[in-house]
Amino acid sequence: MKPAPFAYERPRDFTAALSMLAARSGSAKIIAGGQSLGPMLNLRLVQPELIVDISGLAELKRAEISGGELVLGALVTHADIEDGRTADVTRGAMRGVAANIAYRAVRNRGTIGGSLSHADPAADWISALAALGARVTLRGLAGARTMPVEAFVLGALESALHTGEIVEAVHVPARSATAHWGYAKSCRKTGEFAHAIGAVLIDPAAASARIVIGAIDTTPLVITDAVELFGGRIAADYKQRFDVRVADALLAKAGIDDAAQRHIHVSVLRRAVQEAAA
Amino acid sequence: MSTIALHVNRRAVEVPAEPRTSLADFVRDKLDLTGTHLGCEHGVCGACTVLLDGVPARSCITYAAACEGADVTTIEGLDEDEVTSELRAAFTREHALQCGYCTPGMLVSARDLVLRLPDADERSIRVGMSGNLCRCTGYVGIVRAVQSVIEARRARSIAPLAGAGRTGLGPVGSGRAAPGRSESRPAQQALAAASENIAACSIPDFTPATVLDQRFTLPYPPAKVFAIFDDIAVIAACLPGVSLGSPPTPERVEGAIRVKLGPVAAAFEGAARVERDPATLSGRIVGIGTDPRSRSATQGEIRYRLLPLDGGAATAVELSIGYTLTGMLAQVGRPGLVRDLAKRLVAEFAANLDRRMSGVPSGPGTSAELSFWSIASDVLRARIARIFGRRSEAG
Repeated sequence: MKPAPFAYERPRDFTAALSMLAARSGSAKIIAGGQSLGPMLNLRLVQPELIVDISGLAELKRAEISGGELVLGALVTHADIEDGRTADVTRGAMRGVAANIAYRAVRNRGTIGGSLSHADPAADWISALAALGARVTLRGLAGARTMPVEAFVLGALESALHTGEIVEAVHVPARSATAHWGYAKSCRKTGEFAHAIGAVLIDPAAASARIVIGAIDTTPLVITDAVELFGGRIAADYKQRFDVRVADALLAKAGIDDAAQRHIHVSVLRRAVQEAAA
Repeated sequence: MSTIALHVNRRAVEVPAEPRTSLADFVRDKLDLTGTHLGCEHGVCGACTVLLDGVPARSCITYAAACEGADVTTIEGLDEDEVTSELRAAFTREHALQCGYCTPGMLVSARDLVLRLPDADERSIRVGMSGNLCRCTGYVGIVRAVQSVIEARRARSIAPLAGAGRTGLGPVGSGRAAPGRSESRPAQQALAAASENIAACSIPDFTPATVLDQRFTLPYPPAKVFAIFDDIAVIAACLPGVSLGSPPTPERVEGAIRVKLGPVAAAFEGAARVERDPATLSGRIVGIGTDPRSRSATQGEIRYRLLPLDGGAATAVELSIGYTLTGMLAQVGRPGLVRDLAKRLVAEFAANLDRRMSGVPSGPGTSAELSFWSIASDVLRARIARIFGRRSEAG
């Protein structure tokens, strides 16, 4: 339960961190809060030659509203969001998600960028940020690219990060005044990774919705054309019109063969819809 | 080994430590502050919880080197702390401890709740304390003790401390260190070549602990597909991550498979034997392998059956992948992640096979990772899983 030996480096700035990663071509790992990587190192599931600790980089600790969206540096912690130390453009949606990630001692160090980079399908931000329509910026020495969160997660623990790239920032669009938010998850024990996640952003006034079914062991299902889930139209009565059969069919189509599993996911999604309507 | 300088219990400390030294080992082994307890050592049990820059953090998954310049407070540093004193009295009164192993972490977490949540009811206290496990007293006394302190302070109109007084952003404990580098001790891994260990072994039958069923289709007749399944070198080349050792025979195929699940990578070396039944167009590959680096071993089996589709013009390949994993990697308990990986690997295998059969040469490096051993690899991933399962998410 002690990590294998590794060399450790604290870069001067973000560019220096990128250079260190590039120079090691795969044998180096970035650590931020270390709340996902730490356990894997301790269990020796991961045995990198070099750990590059970016946790001190002030450039990645920003949180600002720019062009109508919130830009969060990768090092913003779950507790920073939970406590409202960062601005909020989601009218409390992100605070609610952050407050229920793992445990407070973990939230004090765990970062939003680290959680995304780890790409665990059962983690909260992957699903929540996809529902909010957030984008993520990745930077390497060659430059930066930005993509929707749902395009960033490729599968279980697989992200779109290329060797030498680091998650730099998350861009969260403002939640419109008429959009309802609901987020529900099922954990066997409080604070554990979820077994099912439902995240919904429903705007009856605009007749639109973003629905996410997460923690399905692979990339979350992100449904942007969600009218079928609500019997053909998204309106004020969406809670009554929510069609569990359509949700079940979507899960079956996504390869969830176990009916009991589908039932759990559908129930959690229904809870999220009910929360949005409440 | 380099010197790590930080403050522990308001005292400046400068002690040499390896980069891999956790903050918990640092305070226990270097400073003799053994009140910080280690339970699970992967962030689940909460026994190691200390205050880092004034707020709770897991000292078992926080490396001391990452806390350069930070303020650490262990249970020993809370002797005179007002809230902790109230909590100690309440823990005594409510019989909130028995063996005491979890108590230092419980007190640190409870202190944080008391400061932040003046209106917490029993449920919020239970949620707030859910990251600290107790295995003997149970939680009733603990929750009652925390609740009594919260209520007493509320009665005295003591205002909460928003965010536990924190103002800056980013991981607690970070931000006060200068850039720098610290070398590790060279890893001493005197590893016997796995292939040598395997070489002499026979390949036994076994009952897999985990079985994954996968299916894909190929636009070729079953007989043609069956023939290609007999060409071990071709199959191996189509399997992601697989490389063959000595020239294969059906009785014995030696080789290795490298598998990767996120940051976790393993290389299993081993041997397999191949069985075929032309009458039913089915077969089996049974193998054993070891990954010296993770000190893990696996037994794996791929059963395949070919079924005609479209009047025999195409073939459905049914794969049943079974494995048993032992050693360090066997700890992963999230089979779902493994299934996702297996699906991706099988899809890649199918695409490679299709390309190969249609005469398109696969470019260098296209052989990825699925094999006789993919089984094994899957295993590996599986192991990872459990950790996450038990721990919790974070960045």
